[in-house]
Amino acid sequence: MKEILIHIALYTVLWGSIYLLISLGFSLICGVLRIFHLGYGVTFVLAAYLVWTFMEHAHLGLLPSILLMVLVQIGFALIVFYKGIFERYLEEEEVLLSLSLLVFVAIAHLANYLFPVTAGVSLPTTVVDDVLTVGGSTIAYQMIVAAAVGVLVTVLYVLFFLKTRIGLIIRAVSQNLLAARLMGVNVNGMYYLAMVLSILPPTICLLVIAPFWGVDPFMGSPLLMTAMLIAILGGLGNLKGSIVASYLIGFIHATVSFLFVSRFMGLAALIVTLVVMIYRRGGIFAGETLW
Amino acid sequence: MVKLELRRDRIVARWGDWKSEWVIEPRYWRNPTIAITALFLLPLLVQSYPHILTMITTANLYAAIAIPLALQILGTARVNFGPQLYLGIGGYTAALLNLHWGWSPSLTFLAVIVVCGVIALLISPTTWIAKGLYFSLITLILPLTFLDVTFIWGDIFRGEVGLVGMSPLLNFTKVSWNYLAYYYLSLILMLLYLLVSDRIVRSRLGVNLAAINENEDVARMMGVNVDRYKVVCYVFPSILTGIVGWFIVHTFRTFAGVTYLPLEFMTKVLIIVIVGGRAFLYGAIPGAYLISIVEDSLRAVGPSNYFLFPLVLILLIVFLPRGEGLWGLYRKRRPRDYFPKLHVRRE
Amino acid sequence: MLEITSVTKTFGGLAAVSEVSFSVKKGEVVGLIGPNGAGKTTLLNLICGIYKPDAGSIRFEGTEIAGLPPNRICRLGISRTYQIPQPFEAMTALNGVLVSVLNGKKRRRMSLSDAVFEASYYLEFVGLFSKRDTLARNLNLYELRMLELARALATTPKLLLLDETMAGLNPAEAERALEMIWNAQEQFDFTILWIEHVMKIIMKAAQRVVVLQYGKKIAEGPPEEIQGDPKIIEAYLGARYAQHP
Repeated sequence: MKEILIHIALYTVLWGSIYLLISLGFSLICGVLRIFHLGYGVTFVLAAYLVWTFMEHAHLGLLPSILLMVLVQIGFALIVFYKGIFERYLEEEEVLLSLSLLVFVAIAHLANYLFPVTAGVSLPTTVVDDVLTVGGSTIAYQMIVAAAVGVLVTVLYVLFFLKTRIGLIIRAVSQNLLAARLMGVNVNGMYYLAMVLSILPPTICLLVIAPFWGVDPFMGSPLLMTAMLIAILGGLGNLKGSIVASYLIGFIHATVSFLFVSRFMGLAALIVTLVVMIYRRGGIFAGETLW
Repeated sequence: MVKLELRRDRIVARWGDWKSEWVIEPRYWRNPTIAITALFLLPLLVQSYPHILTMITTANLYAAIAIPLALQILGTARVNFGPQLYLGIGGYTAALLNLHWGWSPSLTFLAVIVVCGVIALLISPTTWIAKGLYFSLITLILPLTFLDVTFIWGDIFRGEVGLVGMSPLLNFTKVSWNYLAYYYLSLILMLLYLLVSDRIVRSRLGVNLAAINENEDVARMMGVNVDRYKVVCYVFPSILTGIVGWFIVHTFRTFAGVTYLPLEFMTKVLIIVIVGGRAFLYGAIPGAYLISIVEDSLRAVGPSNYFLFPLVLILLIVFLPRGEGLWGLYRKRRPRDYFPKLHVRRE
Repeated sequence: MLEITSVTKTFGGLAAVSEVSFSVKKGEVVGLIGPNGAGKTTLLNLICGIYKPDAGSIRFEGTEIAGLPPNRICRLGISRTYQIPQPFEAMTALNGVLVSVLNGKKRRRMSLSDAVFEASYYLEFVGLFSKRDTLARNLNLYELRMLELARALATTPKLLLLDETMAGLNPAEAERALEMIWNAQEQFDFTILWIEHVMKIIMKAAQRVVVLQYGKKIAEGPPEEIQGDPKIIEAYLGARYAQHP
């Protein structure tokens, strides 16, 4: 029994920290642009397959590939998503959501077409290639590295939003757009910044979890679902809520896996989210603000 | 019992205190009659091409899913991003009952109605508890979770492969007559749904639903029992979608959740509603035919059609006029008609 | 007919309405005035059922309505108009009134054509019959106000709550609107509780006036009394004007 509890605690922390990375970008866009970015899963797919393309076909090293990939991703997000979809269809939200989803589906299938499973796509981003044995379970060091990176990135982001001037401006934009405009904020610039900032966590997340999670053209879907559940549970667009909800969902997944059967993880998370919605309509930290 | 009177331009039915009038508008019947006759005569032109016949049958089924969705969006004032959930539930109920317990199609029909109704009732509180955006997201996630469930209990649901060999609705000796019969059945199903939805939207119920879609709070103040209408408007279209699932099971005789539950299928149905524009109840039919034709033609291209299809859909959405959509290319002057607006973000 | 006893409603830390009590008798026209932020619209929302009061009770014809949902309250015979007109934008004027006719009272047996007939009667009463097929988003402010009135009347209320009906109307339109409301009251026989900022109208129309400030009732009485009361003048214009009338 004690072993199971240790497992649960361990995996709550590990998975929760990884989920932080997944949901951070989504919450950021939700909170600042007030848009549901259904195409969010595309960052994972693009990250993986762009790095692979640059490394295998352009024969660049790992680091240059990653930098180039980040640039391409920023361009893609700003041009395709922001300029192409969000700005044009702000008033017609059903079109906006459908278009984002379609872009995501198109890219996922494109990746599947160009690099089917047999192509053996994998990213050599293992930092530490060893396993740790703790309390009767073996954990890959890479997972611990991923969790640590998750916490680090989240702390950096929270510090950015709380302590810097630009972070304050973004928080203001997220609370009251009109008032921020009246105060002379360059709202468009802030939106660009928010979109760029929202790409970084999922990219980093993919880079560190690729070794043990595997790379798959359709991995964006389940990750998007997890990000959405965390966002709904924590309150749409609220960073505090995302952090709490990530660990909560990590806890639910860990508990269900170790106490019951691991197949029910997703279902259990959904049921808990629905129950929380009954009692607190906006999620745990409901409130139209970023922090 | 029920007294019928024929006035100059309407039929009045009376039963005790209750009175219902049906205005006869022959002017407005001409175009629908032409369209319906065209649809009925269509297979005679394409009889020699069985795959076109399957294509238009599928188009009818897409429309039959989009029409209840339009009704649901109107009545619950929220956009449901996962209509295929009940397609899956209905389909699996019919398939499993038929395969394992040998129930005939008529019995599975009743079972599908009951199961879909119960599950819809259980989920219906989300229509008034969850705010608009949250509701859309939850409905987005539900079919994907159901897909997971089918994989969890893979031995029952048969995961990727799906269930095969359910009893057919009709069985003629000539195979081509089967295809023809299925087309006509699907056409009748779709037209029935269209008729029911049209009657609802043009009735007293429709006026109340339009009020709820416009402004819930004001509608409450006018005395509309919003919560009750929302539940009815969520459960009834869900049952209709479940019936389409039942139909698919017994006509195509194979059913795999992987085809109907993931996001790709949902985008098809949603595009039909969006491309149908604000008159999405009637625009569902040309929209469905368009999507079906596009899908079929792209299939000829080969394996790259999986990513070309979303791209073509994107082009369709961007370039088709969306105010009235496809239906707007042909628009009747009926100023009294209500053209609803889709609201995703709703308090 | 309407008895409000010690009603309190707080939002967060702010007491929007605190311990307000007054009553409205059948057939009266009672004005509710006060500076902005006094809690008048909140009080109206409390009566209509949009908010639930934290304390106190609201009784309408003997029944307690404080916690009921808005549609039940409408069925009991209370109707309201809105400060900023909220029509059903994509519906025609006729359809808007049609909603009220179908749902306002227990008229379940009404067929659609009969309901349309009744709705046109109300539209004609307020003078909007020629605009019955225009979409509500194409009407001007006066027509929108009249549509609100028609919508409220179509639910055959016993108590009509008017929220700043005259705001934004020029004097001629305001006179016409006042005539309309008086006609309606004569013909349909209901009580009015009227929030208003335009003093001339209230002093002409109301028999009794209740004054709110910062959520509390500070005075109540016939209009002439209220007009000269230095406390009221101070509430609206500040202490300086109260000293030098």
